[in-house]
Amino acid sequence: MYLKKIARAFRIHKFDEKEFAKKGEDYLFNFINKNVGPVDEKRRRFLQGILIGVSAAVVAGIIPGLRVLVPPVQSVSGFPKTLIVDSSGNPIKASSIPVNSPTIMLFSYPLQNEINFLLNLGDKNGNPVEVPPTTVLVPQTGDKYQFPGGVGPNKSIVAYSAICQHLGCEPPYIHFYPPKYVNISQVTAPEPNTLTVEAVQAAQKENLPAIIHCDCHGSTFDPYHGAAVLTGPTVRPLPAVILEWDSSTDYLYAVGYVGVPVYPAGSNGVPSNDPSTDLDESQFGSSVGDKTSISESNPFS
Amino acid sequence: MFERVRNWFKERINMDDLPFFRTPDYMYHVGDWLGALVAGAFFYTVISGLILLLYYNPEAGYQATQTVINQVPYGSVVLYSHLYGAYAMIILAYVHMFRNYFVGAYKKPRELVWILGVLMLALTLGTSFLGYSLIGDVLATSAVDVGAGILSGIGLGSLVPIFFGNYSAGDYSRVLALHIILVALIGLLFVVHFFLADIQYGMMPSRKVKDKAPAVYPKAQWSKFNPWWPRNFIYMMSLIFMTWGFILIIPDLLVYVNGLPQIANPFLNPKPAPPPNSPAAASVTTYPPWFFLFLYKIADFPASLTIDIVIGVFIPLIYLLIVPFIDRSDELHPLKRKLFTWIGVVMMVFLIQTSLWGDLAPGVPVTWNEVFEAYLPPAVISAVGILLIPSNPRLNSKALANPFTMLGFVAITLLFVGSIFEVMSSPSVADVILVGLFGSLFVTLGKMLSPYVARTESGSVEKASLSADESRLAVKKNLAQVIMLILLVIAIIIAADMWSIPATGYYSNLFGVDLGLLFLIAGEEFSLYHYVVYKKPVEPEE
Repeated sequence: MYLKKIARAFRIHKFDEKEFAKKGEDYLFNFINKNVGPVDEKRRRFLQGILIGVSAAVVAGIIPGLRVLVPPVQSVSGFPKTLIVDSSGNPIKASSIPVNSPTIMLFSYPLQNEINFLLNLGDKNGNPVEVPPTTVLVPQTGDKYQFPGGVGPNKSIVAYSAICQHLGCEPPYIHFYPPKYVNISQVTAPEPNTLTVEAVQAAQKENLPAIIHCDCHGSTFDPYHGAAVLTGPTVRPLPAVILEWDSSTDYLYAVGYVGVPVYPAGSNGVPSNDPSTDLDESQFGSSVGDKTSISESNPFS
Repeated sequence: MFERVRNWFKERINMDDLPFFRTPDYMYHVGDWLGALVAGAFFYTVISGLILLLYYNPEAGYQATQTVINQVPYGSVVLYSHLYGAYAMIILAYVHMFRNYFVGAYKKPRELVWILGVLMLALTLGTSFLGYSLIGDVLATSAVDVGAGILSGIGLGSLVPIFFGNYSAGDYSRVLALHIILVALIGLLFVVHFFLADIQYGMMPSRKVKDKAPAVYPKAQWSKFNPWWPRNFIYMMSLIFMTWGFILIIPDLLVYVNGLPQIANPFLNPKPAPPPNSPAAASVTTYPPWFFLFLYKIADFPASLTIDIVIGVFIPLIYLLIVPFIDRSDELHPLKRKLFTWIGVVMMVFLIQTSLWGDLAPGVPVTWNEVFEAYLPPAVISAVGILLIPSNPRLNSKALANPFTMLGFVAITLLFVGSIFEVMSSPSVADVILVGLFGSLFVTLGKMLSPYVARTESGSVEKASLSADESRLAVKKNLAQVIMLILLVIAIIIAADMWSIPATGYYSNLFGVDLGLLFLIAGEEFSLYHYVVYKKPVEPEE
């Protein structure tokens, strides 16, 4: 087609052969470019159409690839059953957890940054005591919920959220005070081990050997009764991890949560009927999966 | 309507007057556009790296790598092509550098362009090393150990925390930050490099046009060439798309290749090795990334580490930086500055040779005897070769092209191939030397013979009349047009197919293969468009 056009151009416009002989190729080029155009416009448009088509195909191919921008968020639909292991990966034996230990034993559950205390409660003399199921009151709303009680060989092992329900303080500010620290001399102890006078009085009034106390603002919780509120300023008890003890292996599993959701999701003070509220807080990271390990630290040393 | 929109943009963007280099017709060959290939690989790596940045967690490097590969949709496609994009950039940067070395592009007035380029190469290698460390597998950690060991070995131990921070404690955040900072630096230098090369001096005219430095077009002549828009844009798109195509296709196909021999692993295995603290790590032969294999081997030399590093890093680097000031003649032809051509050839051969040696025998100490055995022959052979080739090689190659030399060439080719297999089956230093020897003979002879051989085929064309040329070209262009249509159909099929590839798992890398094919086709389409619309039967070097 292009050739035909050139041929026609040769016929219509005079092609000066003498000039061609003299100037050579340049003349021919100028001649063709002048009279025929480099490549005719229609053809060029058609080819541009193909280029646009192929570009569109590239874009169409890339579109499903844009899924690379969608992060693989793990939606945790229910609480995982999570084995509690020590820092070297061996399962914790329930009967070997020290009673009334001053060491803070923390494990994450159900999400990676949701930390919880693991406690083996005992009396003043360090003998494990059975923690019975109780009804826990939320002072903020007057709502009540059922705490299932302790597990393990002596039904003395419990686990509570280690994030204070008042304003979200974390260990070492909030921690467990074994019997020997629950006395008036602890009021003058340095941070983070200072008790308030109110806390000591409340513990003595309720005849509690040990308490959980937060040094940030002085909230106190009763570990023997589902971490119920002993003294303010908190108006919500600490939520409790539901534990399961396998008597044949002596292993401990975390299987769920009761109480208000972990701070700050639970700040309306309503105990969650749908416990998965705890699982929606993406600020706490992704699910711990089927194993969670204990980390230990001693605030008193 | 379409026309009006088009004109609206045309008026506002005014692409016709862009200040970029106007290009003569004969320069639309890839040899003149190697820089565009490097830049293409750079941009690909930056884009894929930014996507990876969304997912990478420097506090859990290995785990983050595994998450990207196994859980992020098409994460393995992005990660592996990021790796091979960096590989491509390094290889293309070397090719770009050596090409410009041999054509004398470092000479006046382009000395600064050259120096910036050498600095960018060093930065690219450094960035790639840091990026490789971010994987956090046993290879990465041992590479960092070796790197840190080399630094302390030459008395620069105080630099280790500056480069690697808390790397050994599993915190890669500093390495990640430096990785990105160095890339930003490369980008910055690239802007200056490009500005000087393209806008200040323009591309180097062919040697037939100007065989003496300073090789620049006068502005008056320059302004007569093709403007940047749209022809250069079309040509550039074809090059960039093709580069991206290869960057995607190669690693995503290699993923499906299993059981490679150990010596192929540094080059052909995109997957990470086991983590350093796993039992499997003990059985892994560690090796550095391939672009540092040469340095790894030089560290095996019997001299002290400081001398090894001076040989392997400082001498070549400083030579490259100051070569514009040593080679001060205005000759551009490689055979009219034989000393520098020889140094270039030797550098190239030594680089490849040492890298392969490091791959075959990593960490095996060598004696001086072995070093001389390995490095003297190629140096002598190339010196003799360059001295023997007269400055006007055309006569020579014609005289060479008789049946006997042809037979000899075939024999050398076979020996070359045979020696490669020999090395593959039982690697030893002597075999590597043989490969180098036959390889250099093969390349030298091949180069001398090929123009003549190629001409015997096309010899008749030269005398044919111009109109015959014209009609041949028209036929080819029609053919190109048909190919363009066919490729468009294939592209649409591939694009449709891509919607059905799973985002994670074993088959997800097929997405990368398909996307690479799509890029290749797009590149080819742009290239064919360029051919049909702009190709002239004769493109004189003017």
